[in-house]
Amino acid sequence: MTLALTGHAVARGIAIGHCHLVERNELDIGEYRIGVDEVEREIQRYRNAVEAARRQLEELAGRVIQNVGIGAGEIIQTHVMMLGDSRLQDSTEQHIRRELCNAEWALQMQLEQVLSEFRSLDDAYIRSRGEDVAQVVRLIQNKLNEEAADKPFENMPDRLAETLVISSELTPGELAVLHERGVGGIVTEHGGPHSHTAILASSFGIPAVMGVRRAQALLREGETLVLDGGLGVVYADPDEAIHNHYHQVQRITRRFKKSLEAIRDLPASSLDGQLISLQANAERPAELQLAREQGANGIGLYRTEFLYLQGAPPAEEEQLAEFASAIELLGGIPLTIRTLDLGADKSTDYLDFSQLRRCANPALGLRAVRLCLRDTDLFKTQLRAILRASALGPVRCLIPMLTSVQEIRMVRFLLDEAREELDARSMAYDPDMPIGGMIEVPAAALAITELAPHLDFISVGTNDLLQYTLAADRVDEQVAHLYDPQHPGVVRLLRYIFREANASRIPATVCGEVAGDRQYTRLLLALGLKDFSMHPGRLLEVKQVVRETDIPKAKAALTGWFNTTPTETGSSLLKVIDDSQRSG
Amino acid sequence: MIAADVIIVNKLGLHARAASRLVNCASGFAAEIEIVRGTRSVNAKSIMGVLTLAAALGTELVIEVDGPDEQQALEAVVALFQDRFGEDE
Repeated sequence: MTLALTGHAVARGIAIGHCHLVERNELDIGEYRIGVDEVEREIQRYRNAVEAARRQLEELAGRVIQNVGIGAGEIIQTHVMMLGDSRLQDSTEQHIRRELCNAEWALQMQLEQVLSEFRSLDDAYIRSRGEDVAQVVRLIQNKLNEEAADKPFENMPDRLAETLVISSELTPGELAVLHERGVGGIVTEHGGPHSHTAILASSFGIPAVMGVRRAQALLREGETLVLDGGLGVVYADPDEAIHNHYHQVQRITRRFKKSLEAIRDLPASSLDGQLISLQANAERPAELQLAREQGANGIGLYRTEFLYLQGAPPAEEEQLAEFASAIELLGGIPLTIRTLDLGADKSTDYLDFSQLRRCANPALGLRAVRLCLRDTDLFKTQLRAILRASALGPVRCLIPMLTSVQEIRMVRFLLDEAREELDARSMAYDPDMPIGGMIEVPAAALAITELAPHLDFISVGTNDLLQYTLAADRVDEQVAHLYDPQHPGVVRLLRYIFREANASRIPATVCGEVAGDRQYTRLLLALGLKDFSMHPGRLLEVKQVVRETDIPKAKAALTGWFNTTPTETGSSLLKVIDDSQRSG
Repeated sequence: MIAADVIIVNKLGLHARAASRLVNCASGFAAEIEIVRGTRSVNAKSIMGVLTLAAALGTELVIEVDGPDEQQALEAVVALFQDRFGEDE
C-alpha cells in the first residue's frame, strides 16, 4: 500500500528511485578528566582533528567550486572558516587547560554556548546558521574518534543515480558528496528551508524534502520511492497510478520547460497583435531578480507586510531602504507598492488586534486600509517612505481593500499631510506618483464609476473579491468547491469592472491568483484585461498562452456564452473560449 | 586606533556569504578589527561573531581597527562594505 510522508518542500523537482537509508552513528560525547601533564597532548589531538576536518572540507569545496560554481562552494568554505574560528578553537583550548577535560567535551561546551547565542536572534536565516556550527563541531568530534566515527557513506554505492537518500540529517558537505555521486533526491528528518543543505540542494537541482518526521523508521531500504520536491511529499511503495503519473509529469515537464525557454525574449503579443502587459507580484530580492529575468514589465504588487512582521513597526528609513533596494534591483521598470494589508489572518504584537479577534467575522472586520485609517501615525510613516521612494524611480502606490470614495478622500488627505511633512524636511518625492485602489470588495467593484475619478489606476484582487462575492472561504475545505472563478456571477462582475474602468479611462490590473493561472488567461483576455500581475515564476507560462490567443475570437465566444442562458456549468466557459481558438 | 562608520548596502545584509568575505578580508591583516553594532562588538575575523550581529540591509556599523597595518585594513574592510561584498546585482 502506498505511504505518503510530508515535510518541507525545500528543492523542487521529481525523483523516482530506490530508497537508501543512511546509517548514522550518533557519537556519545562524554566527559573525562585528564592530567595536567596531558593537557598539551590533548590540545594537539584537538588541533590534529581540526586540521583533518579542514583538509576534508577544503578539498570538497575546491571540487564544488570547480564543478558547480563559486556560490555553492562558498557555503562549504563557510564551514571551513567556522572550524578555525577563535570562538571555537581558542575557547575550546582554554577550556581544556582550565577544566582539565577531554577535547570532545570542551568542544561540546563551546558549542552549547554558541548555539544559545544563535537561538536568541530574531532573524530566522541567521538563527539557522547555528545548525552549521553544530555540524562543524560534529565533524571535529568525529575526527577525534576515528574508530567510533559516523561514516555515512560507508555502505553507500558509488553511483546513486536511481537512488533517493534518506538520512536523519545531512550537512552541506555530505550533500555535495551525494551530488558528486549523482543522487536522485534526498529526504531528511531534520532541517528546514533556511538550512544551507536546503539552499545547496536547490542550487544543485536535487529534489529534496526536509523535516520528514520518522522517515528513517517508516521507509524501507531498497523500496521504490517517488519524491515530489515541489509539494514536499515522498511516496513509498507507490501504486501504478502514482508511478505512471510522475513518470509522465517528468516527461511533460522537460518538454514544457523547453517550450517556455524559447519564448523568454519574445513579446507578450496576442495572435491578433495586441501587446499585453505582464507584471510580477514580488517583494524579496530573489523574486524581484526572477521577475526581471523572466521579462516582467513591472512589479504590479509589492507587498509590505513582511516589514511589519518582525517585532517593532518599521521606521520610515527602514522601509525606504527596502523600497530603494527593490527599485535599484528593478533597473527602471515600475514598482507598485501596496500599503499595509494586515488584518484577520496576520497579526503583530504592536498592532492591537484583540478587538479584531473578538469580532465574529475577521474577514469583514478591521483590516487593510480600514486599519491604516484608524492608526494614522503608522500609515503616514509608510506613506512618507513610499513618497520618498517615488523620487528614486517609477513608483505607484496601491491602497488595499477600498470600499468607498470617503476612504480614498481620507487617504488623499493623509498623503497631502505626508507631502507637507516631507517638504518641511526638504525631502524629494514624485508629486505625480499614481495612487491606485485594490478592488476586492464587491460594492467597490459595482461602484467603479464613482471611485474611478479619485484614482489613477485599479488593481483587482481576485482572491478576496471572489471570496466575498461567492461568500466562500477557499481555505475552508468544506466550502472550497464553491470558490469558482467561472461562476457566471463572478464573470459578469469582472466584465463590469474592466468595462467601466475602460469607460472611465483608468488602467486595470488583476493581481490575484487567476492572473498567474494559465487556464484563466484567455478568459481574462476575453473580458478585456490588458495587464496581468502574477508570481514571477508564472510569467512565461502566461506569456505562452497570450501568444497563442486570438483575442477578438475569444471575445466573440464569451459574448456568445453570455447571450445563451448559461444553464450549463461554468467549466464549459473555458472550453467555449478555448474552442473558439481552433475554428478557422 | 582608527575607526569608520559604514552602512550595510547589500540587499541580503551580512548573510553567510558576505560574512565569509568579510572574515577572509579581515584575516589578511595583523591589526585587530572589531565590528560594532550599538552596544555589541565582535571580532571581524570570527565568522560566528560576524553572523551573530545579524546585520541586515540598512544597519549602521562602526569598524574599529587597531594595529600596525590599521590604515590598510580599515580601507580594505570599508571598500568591501561599499562594494556590497561583491554581491551580484
